[in-house]
Amino acid sequence: MSGYELLARDLAACGRDGFTGEVRVTGLPGGTFHFRGGLVVAVESPGAPGPEALLLRSGRIGGEEWAGLVRESGGARWPAAGLIAQGYAGAAQLRVVCAMALQDAVFAVVAGSVDGCERAPSDGPPPATIAVGEPPTRLLQEASRKLAALLALPCPVRPERERPVPAALSYAAGRLGPLQREVLTHADGRRTARDLAFRTGRGVYTVTVEVARMLGDGLLECAGAPAPIPVRVPPGGHGVRPREPASPPPPVPVPPSGPPPSPATLPRRRPGASGITEALAPDRGDVAGNGAEATPGERPESQTGWKEFFRLRNPTTK
Amino acid sequence: MDHKALAREMRGLREQVSGITDTAVAAADGLLIAADTADSIDPEGLAALAAAGLGLARRTAEATARGALHRTVAYGSHGCAAFYAVGDTALMVVLGDEGMDVDRLHTATQPALRRIDLILTDRAGTAQQSEKAAEGV
Repeated sequence: MSGYELLARDLAACGRDGFTGEVRVTGLPGGTFHFRGGLVVAVESPGAPGPEALLLRSGRIGGEEWAGLVRESGGARWPAAGLIAQGYAGAAQLRVVCAMALQDAVFAVVAGSVDGCERAPSDGPPPATIAVGEPPTRLLQEASRKLAALLALPCPVRPERERPVPAALSYAAGRLGPLQREVLTHADGRRTARDLAFRTGRGVYTVTVEVARMLGDGLLECAGAPAPIPVRVPPGGHGVRPREPASPPPPVPVPPSGPPPSPATLPRRRPGASGITEALAPDRGDVAGNGAEATPGERPESQTGWKEFFRLRNPTTK
Repeated sequence: MDHKALAREMRGLREQVSGITDTAVAAADGLLIAADTADSIDPEGLAALAAAGLGLARRTAEATARGALHRTVAYGSHGCAAFYAVGDTALMVVLGDEGMDVDRLHTATQPALRRIDLILTDRAGTAQQSEKAAEGV
């Protein structure tokens, strides 16, 4: 059973069972189908821009403004009420964006590889749902029809396979449509049609078809082998090496045990040795009468206070 | 160091996960080793930023007793930048657009990180021989 057959069988079973929850499709790019009562109300896939990416990348709203709306809505992933209230889009426009994003995500899943499907309970409310769900069988048939139409083009491409570059062909920019100009601007040999869809904020089916047409018209071409990745040899010649552990610090000389020896050269300070305490001690008598009228015996330690101070300042003073 | 094997790992990761736009491998000190990046990206600056960011995140994890650091991811409105430590010696940066499935990226990077570590430290051949010996080949 092919991946598509497996997907069709499991999704049809979800529709018959009236399933409510998620179906996670593994593969490349894979995706998640959100069911409500057996109908698909949202599809998310890494292979197609969701409604948020479509609005942000198309420049309809900036990243800061979007973050503000998400904060105001209490962390909702799809702040529809805020978008409408702030005038970024109308309610009908948002419904169209959500419906287009859903169908585009189904196309991306179908155009890629499907390894398996797994039902799971809903992990929170699905973002950006459509009001009336779509039967899964109809969605898959529509996606298959689109893929068949794409593969029937003269230069068929897959959304995640070819990485085109602008051709050397000269072309008049005035003759190109806006999508063609954007594709030529961003096609650098690294981006697939899927990457270009995200970069330009358009549907992956739309961009993939445009890339196929531009390849057919000679506006794009698929480069051969991808450019080699330059690898620099780290210093030392071979591979990287774990960092060398830091060298231990030089040993600190351990002081000998016992009391420290008294220094022979440096003087040891003794409290009061400078005499400043005595010199600056308050001496009422001196202050009052220059010390000459101080009563002997009343404050003997202060008799020589100022004299001692001057003696210290000038040792030659008697 | 096997240059082709390293380039193969980087390109293989891009093919494996939808939405990866650029990858780079650098030494732990921020010295660029290999870059598969678009012209709009400065790979040298990216490597230096990644080293600084990972170092800061590691210090933060240590200071707050969060255990060993697994990765750091910076999310923006147009995508995200994921930084992974490659062993003790290097780091890898993966840039992706807003469609990239980050959980899938984390799953896909684990075996790739181990192989890149072996390639960078010139132990890839030794590891392959050990695995073959363990399997009895």
